[in-house]
Amino acid sequence: MKEFVLYTGCTAPVRLPQYEASVKVVLDKLGVKIVDMKGANCCGAQYVESVNRHAFAAMSGRILALAETYDRDILAICGACSGSLKWIKHSLDNDWKLKDEVNRILADEGLEYTGKIQVKHLLQVFHEDIGYDAIKEAIVKPYSAVRLAAHYGCHVTRPYDIVRVDDPENPTIIDHLIEIAGATAVDYTGKTRCCGGPMLAMDQEVATKIGMDKIRNIRAENVDGIVTACVFCDIQLTQVQFGEGAQDESRIPVLTLPQFLGPALGIEPSRLGIGYNKISPSRVFASVVEV
Amino acid sequence: MMSEPEHGPEKDVEYHPNSRFSQEIAAEPGGEYIRKCIQCGLCTASCMVANYTDKYRPRRIIQKILLGEREQVLASELPWLCMTCRLCEERCQEGVSLAEIFHVVRDIAAREGRVPKVFKDTVNQVLKDGWLLKDAFSDFIQDDRTDLGLNPEVNFDGEFVKKVKKRYFEQGDKEEVKDE
Ligand code: SF4
Ligand code: SF4
Repeated sequence: MKEFVLYTGCTAPVRLPQYEASVKVVLDKLGVKIVDMKGANCCGAQYVESVNRHAFAAMSGRILALAETYDRDILAICGACSGSLKWIKHSLDNDWKLKDEVNRILADEGLEYTGKIQVKHLLQVFHEDIGYDAIKEAIVKPYSAVRLAAHYGCHVTRPYDIVRVDDPENPTIIDHLIEIAGATAVDYTGKTRCCGGPMLAMDQEVATKIGMDKIRNIRAENVDGIVTACVFCDIQLTQVQFGEGAQDESRIPVLTLPQFLGPALGIEPSRLGIGYNKISPSRVFASVVEV
Repeated sequence: MMSEPEHGPEKDVEYHPNSRFSQEIAAEPGGEYIRKCIQCGLCTASCMVANYTDKYRPRRIIQKILLGEREQVLASELPWLCMTCRLCEERCQEGVSLAEIFHVVRDIAAREGRVPKVFKDTVNQVLKDGWLLKDAFSDFIQDDRTDLGLNPEVNFDGEFVKKVKKRYFEQGDKEEVKDE
């Protein structure tokens, strides 16, 4: 059985705990064992990353070193975290001076980064560690006649040379999983464009316009829901739909990937924290039929 | 099926922008991309930020760097508007990473104490608590976590960041994230 140590990042446990819960329940169902990383810190994405490259390396480097004490690869469920950890792993593995510097700071608490563990985003675990065939076999309640749009997340898929998850121009993992679960994966204009989340800090108005651009493009395809694989994308694509002038009826449910897969695997929606989603995805689940 | 012709030897063409600022940028990790830009404007055309705000034109920021407008670039908030979504990098035919160039610009600006307030506040918060959302982590959220079958505690470490702060942000004026 494949085992991972879960690094949740700062945001999921507080703002999207249903994602954390559904990741665990779904991976358990698919035979992947998860342990929580204890005593972690922020990976430094975006903010520390922007002001001091060395401080960023120390923060993400510590998480990598902590994972080594568990002797397990890291599972990251957020685009920002998986991107940062992979970026810093790449830097540390190719820049011995930086690695020495980070290890000197880590030595105080008996930690060391050697580079022996890998960082995987959730999409990779589904694709590479579990595999499409095993997931297909585990589907007991396939969806029918549900149209879903996949949103991958910029930091999940780019830059490819570092993150190595999926084709950054034409990503397919979420789409495959949508189809394997019996639903219809729908393409839309601007699929690989950003949700606008990283703009929230500097200019909320522009961030919302970018997010709504995506929602409009998705709505044009008449879908029942959006499936995400990043904490920030999920939150952003949900909250832009509550802005001024947004209509209740026209809101498109946003679901994290394990929340979507769970019911098809026979998992009770309540165990997936569906009730915590701000836009009820009941129209997505209505179609889950017994085989 | 015929494969697409590679970009050919041109792919590795580097220019030698001679402004002092572009050389300063090129000397930092990630900044070397500045040597590859041909100013075609594809990045601006593919950028969602540029699409929704006229003030942000990534090609133009690169041009200012090439022209050596150091003061203007470092004093501006524009390099901080990049979402680092890297969509432009998928499009750029010359293999330029704008996100990397802007990170170098931000790094240099930060060394001189020029950090937008929201970045400064967030960095200070993270360096104080060890993680971003300690203030938002309430009893209600603990109840939600219990209800979801999760450990109500989130177990973040607040000690390590003190070392990071001391090492990188308090060693003299240059490294500190100061008020603007
Ligand atoms: S697309 Fe590339 S080469 Fe063209 S202006 Fe932008 S960075 Fe320069
Ligand atoms: S990486 Fe920055 S400049 Fe490039 S498209 Fe994204 S926001 Fe625009």
